Amino acid sequence: MRIEGDVATFGVSDHAQEALGDIVFVELPEIGRTVDAAEAYAVVESVKAVSDSYAPVAGEIIDVNEALESEPEKVNTEPYGAGWIAKVKMSGNSDELMSDDEYTTFLEE
Amino acid sequence: MSELMKTPLFDAHVALGGKIVPFAGYELPVQYKNGALKEYTEVREGAAGIFDITHMGQVCVQGIEALKFLQYVTTNDVSKLVDGQVQYSALLNEQGTFIDDITTYKISDEAYYLCINAANRHKDVVHLQKEAANFDVTVIDESDDTTLLALQGAKAQAALQTLVAFDLDNIGYYKFTRGKIDPTGGNAGGIVSRTGYTGEDGFEIYIPNAIAVSVWDALLEQGAVPIGLAARDMLRTEMGYALYGHEISDAVTPVEAKLMWITKLDKGDFIGQAAVEARKVEGAKKRLIALKLTGRGIPREHYKVFVDGIKSGEVTSGMHSPMAGGVALAYVMPEHAIEGDVSIEIRGKQVAAERTSLPFVRSNVKK
Repeated sequence: MRIEGDVATFGVSDHAQEALGDIVFVELPEIGRTVDAAEAYAVVESVKAVSDSYAPVAGEIIDVNEALESEPEKVNTEPYGAGWIAKVKMSGNSDELMSDDEYTTFLEE
Repeated sequence: MSELMKTPLFDAHVALGGKIVPFAGYELPVQYKNGALKEYTEVREGAAGIFDITHMGQVCVQGIEALKFLQYVTTNDVSKLVDGQVQYSALLNEQGTFIDDITTYKISDEAYYLCINAANRHKDVVHLQKEAANFDVTVIDESDDTTLLALQGAKAQAALQTLVAFDLDNIGYYKFTRGKIDPTGGNAGGIVSRTGYTGEDGFEIYIPNAIAVSVWDALLEQGAVPIGLAARDMLRTEMGYALYGHEISDAVTPVEAKLMWITKLDKGDFIGQAAVEARKVEGAKKRLIALKLTGRGIPREHYKVFVDGIKSGEVTSGMHSPMAGGVALAYVMPEHAIEGDVSIEIRGKQVAAERTSLPFVRSNVKK
């Protein structure tokens, strides 16, 4: 997760995309939806598996990466860049942030 | 759960970066380091994909009543086979439902070879040996001694031809040859059939375990690309080929599974015949159909299928086809097989789908 001001960019960690394998579909959340920390906000599907992607922090979805509808493989190739999933205006404070490890654990559960 | 088995190629899979998973009692690679999608693409776009499918079982049926026995235990008409020919067939129980789907290889009038599913192996062998008691035949499970490789894709023939002295051009679709296949210079041999589960031209190669690694390595040297289970399932689903435990099981008969073409009701008495005949008269309980999503999403096994808003059945195999999009094989109520608006429920939402014909993508098998 990348943070700029009060906006967090959600995605899948490099470790998680590696574990999931080739991503072939991403179900994006709706703009305007509010999510709690640890809530499933998107669905990432690989060739063989369907996985929820969990919000590392609470907030309101203000933008989604529609490019993933035609190029879901960006989640694999650029998990921290063009493979981002959603931008979220954070509602909580930074104490609620999950560490990378916790986030990865969530993704794998 | 009992100990998982390893094929003779286990170390080779690990060395190639294979991600090993338990499958049908074996430890097998679901994909190698480049991933399932790339593997799939290699096979569809002309490589020679090599698959370790040693988990499949092999049974030898020998004896003067071999034909009579196989006519009784399998659904297809074995009398139509000539030496060196392969036939897709099935084993049914008395209820007319599937014990397994199989391929029958005719070596001679008194010797046949059956290829069976790994997950059904013990059940099949027990069944066949029990029925064999009434015939002058022996049924021998050769699975543990046999390595089975599939070599599939446009370059399969060129790669394999370098390893064998016999001319592969002489092996037609669903035909086979027995001959020497031994890159180590020895005299080991096996069966090479022009068969497969991918919709591409290619071969299945039955060899003794002792030469498995040398044949595998020799084919890799010829440019063959190792393909894991995930890509194999993508390739077979795109063809609409049935997979035991998905489209076929002991809950359906050939009438439901669209497999009457391998069920020859007029060939004489066989196990399950009366039940299938009765089912044919009373009508299928459900029907297998092919669906393509028109909305976004990926259909997966067990997702519910709705027709005109009524829950009609469920997906048995589904996937994202790089060429055809979201595709699925599904059972629906017989009255919904042809008409009515279809949707598949994905995470609580109805996603529109339409019926389509099989295969989902063009087959390149050389018939």
